[in-house]
Amino acid sequence: MKPIEIIDIDVSYGAKKILEAITFNADASEILGIVGPNGSGKTTLLKAMSRVVARDNGDIRLEGRDLDSFEHRELARRVAVVPQDISIGFDYSVRDVVMMGRHPYIGRFASETAQDMEICDRAMRLANVAHLAGTSVRDISGGERQRVLIARALAQEPKILLLDEATSNLDVSHQVEILNIIRDLAEEITVVSVFHDLNLAAHYCDRLLLLKDRRVYALGTPSEVLTREKIREVFGMEVLVKSHPLTGRPYVLPVYMHQSGSGGNRRVHVVCGGGTGSDILHLLHTAGFAVTCGILNVLDTDYGTAMHLGIPCVAEPPFHNITPKSLAGLRECLDGADTVIVTAMPIGKGNLDNLQVLLDYPKKPIIFYARDHTARMEDFTGGEAWAVLTNLEARGAHRIEGAAELLAYLSRDGSGCDRTP
Amino acid sequence: MRRTAPIIIVTLTGVLLISMASAVALGPSGISPGSLFSSDNAWMILWEIRLPRVIAAALVGCALAVAGTAMQGLFRNPMADPYIIGTSSGGALGATIAIVLFAGTGRPVLAFIGAMVATFTVYFVARKGGKIPIETLLLSGVALSTLLSALLSFLMYTAGQSLHQIMFWLMGGFWNISWNDVFAALPILIGVAGIYLFARDLNILALNEEDATHLGVNVERVKRILLALSAFLAGIAVSIAGSIGFVGLITPHVMRLIVGPDHRVLFPAAALAGAILLVWADTLTRTFTSDMPVGIITACFGEPFFIYLLRSRMKA
Repeated sequence: MKPIEIIDIDVSYGAKKILEAITFNADASEILGIVGPNGSGKTTLLKAMSRVVARDNGDIRLEGRDLDSFEHRELARRVAVVPQDISIGFDYSVRDVVMMGRHPYIGRFASETAQDMEICDRAMRLANVAHLAGTSVRDISGGERQRVLIARALAQEPKILLLDEATSNLDVSHQVEILNIIRDLAEEITVVSVFHDLNLAAHYCDRLLLLKDRRVYALGTPSEVLTREKIREVFGMEVLVKSHPLTGRPYVLPVYMHQSGSGGNRRVHVVCGGGTGSDILHLLHTAGFAVTCGILNVLDTDYGTAMHLGIPCVAEPPFHNITPKSLAGLRECLDGADTVIVTAMPIGKGNLDNLQVLLDYPKKPIIFYARDHTARMEDFTGGEAWAVLTNLEARGAHRIEGAAELLAYLSRDGSGCDRTP
Repeated sequence: MRRTAPIIIVTLTGVLLISMASAVALGPSGISPGSLFSSDNAWMILWEIRLPRVIAAALVGCALAVAGTAMQGLFRNPMADPYIIGTSSGGALGATIAIVLFAGTGRPVLAFIGAMVATFTVYFVARKGGKIPIETLLLSGVALSTLLSALLSFLMYTAGQSLHQIMFWLMGGFWNISWNDVFAALPILIGVAGIYLFARDLNILALNEEDATHLGVNVERVKRILLALSAFLAGIAVSIAGSIGFVGLITPHVMRLIVGPDHRVLFPAAALAGAILLVWADTLTRTFTSDMPVGIITACFGEPFFIYLLRSRMKA
């Protein structure tokens, strides 16, 4: 018997359908994350599970029993909810608020017992708020208040803990602190939590439920659910999914695509390396320039960036000198380019050819680009590179600092040929 | 619960007993302790006039303060009191009907019925899908009060000779209180005890309704019960003493500042303080002002406080 089973439920607010045909179970001792775009029904699903909103049809079974058959206090002894930061207008102490979690256990004609006090103390210790017991809830920080609400939920001694984006208003260190507490708790209880942040969800959840347009789009382990394709389909957004270097969990990086294009398909070739070109490759690509780059080593960060963006790149295997074949590829790019950008990169014997070949294009507009004033060329060739650079500068190549300035400069006229700074 | 709470409750109880004793001793006819034994008249004034009047004032003050405390907790709004949801207007209309149509016969009964009918009308008007959202409840209260006031004005317009009687009753006071009125007021104690049983629920409801549901409070049921009990208390108060404003508004407020927001302490504290307040207000009016309606006294003290509250809330 599953702790909680949701069987084909529909929920609507008035005439507006919020959830349709939702079916899933939560297993004992797991953290199940609910993710999905705004308006996909995440919070409503949680509210249906805590019986705050009624469902139109379908069944929710708690410990095998119909959710509606539970009396209010009976339900509160099994299911606890940690809301998204509530404001508490009255001057209650932290202990008062945590003790409210014992309400479903204390009869109308009774008052709290020593045992209630003990459970309350334990809950405060677990949530790390014991030291605040006597403080007013109005005098503590948002992170502390959230932990107080967790302590209150624990005082309910629930079998199932529901969290509605319980950490989304907090800074990252408090988010991690609270989610660590919750993960430790999940050894004994079932946790179902709505997450806004896909990466936190991926890290803390055993399984994820992905909602799209009121329905379950996917249910499975974080690696099964958080794929590039599914995220594109559900969030309408390009992302890179990598594996977190420390945990191996999927890690979602947005590509930050936007549609404003001032590039007008003009061609730009970027000579870069060592990560010095990643920012402008992305920038120029999204601005609508037809970007090429190279020659790069395939282990170079900039190469990875180019590949993710789908930018044509002339590349060499690692630890190889530039071959004539690559050089021919580079010349081809340079022939087609309206402007050539050279980033502030380290130059050694291995990539000196990239610069030297530019001497053969005296008419080509060349820009030396530095991300900021700290970025500069580094010559590891014993002076050869400097000679080439000086030569190029004498022919009219000029320096631009800052990505925005670069973009403004390139967008200023049709050809990008204007050499006056 | 704060440690000082029991001390405050004991102190308030003491103050109430002393106040009631002093109130019985004070009065326009200046009875000396010695005359009690020599004059039947003095004994009569004390036993048949002052004592029931003081007890009734204490009970009514207690009822208004407790009903106000419950409403403020329920609505999470420190401006709320039983008058805001139409209870008072209903009571006033009931009493006026009794005065105009039946020459005052059954005035307390009709006032009580009016108060209850008005409260439940508001409740059903405001109800939506089995729930009573606080906003619609307050709005319905205001709307119904306006309608009832219009009817009241019409009755007063046609009242002729009994207009004076209506006016006095609307201002509120404890004239001609007899032991029968005291007995009629005793159910107030039951209402107060009933509300006290929901102190913990009210503490939780003060956070917010959804959160209270999560903690096992049957929110809609608690709301219904507390509304009914508050209307019951206010209805009895109105039927005995007419419309006395501001006791239900101010007392919970001041007590919340002193004992904190925990309703388990706040209810007894407000009950005692409400009683003390009205006992003294009534003693002042009958001793120094030739029995001016006590509602004028409470309004004179209450209105500036209300404005102060409003201003300090606007700043917050």
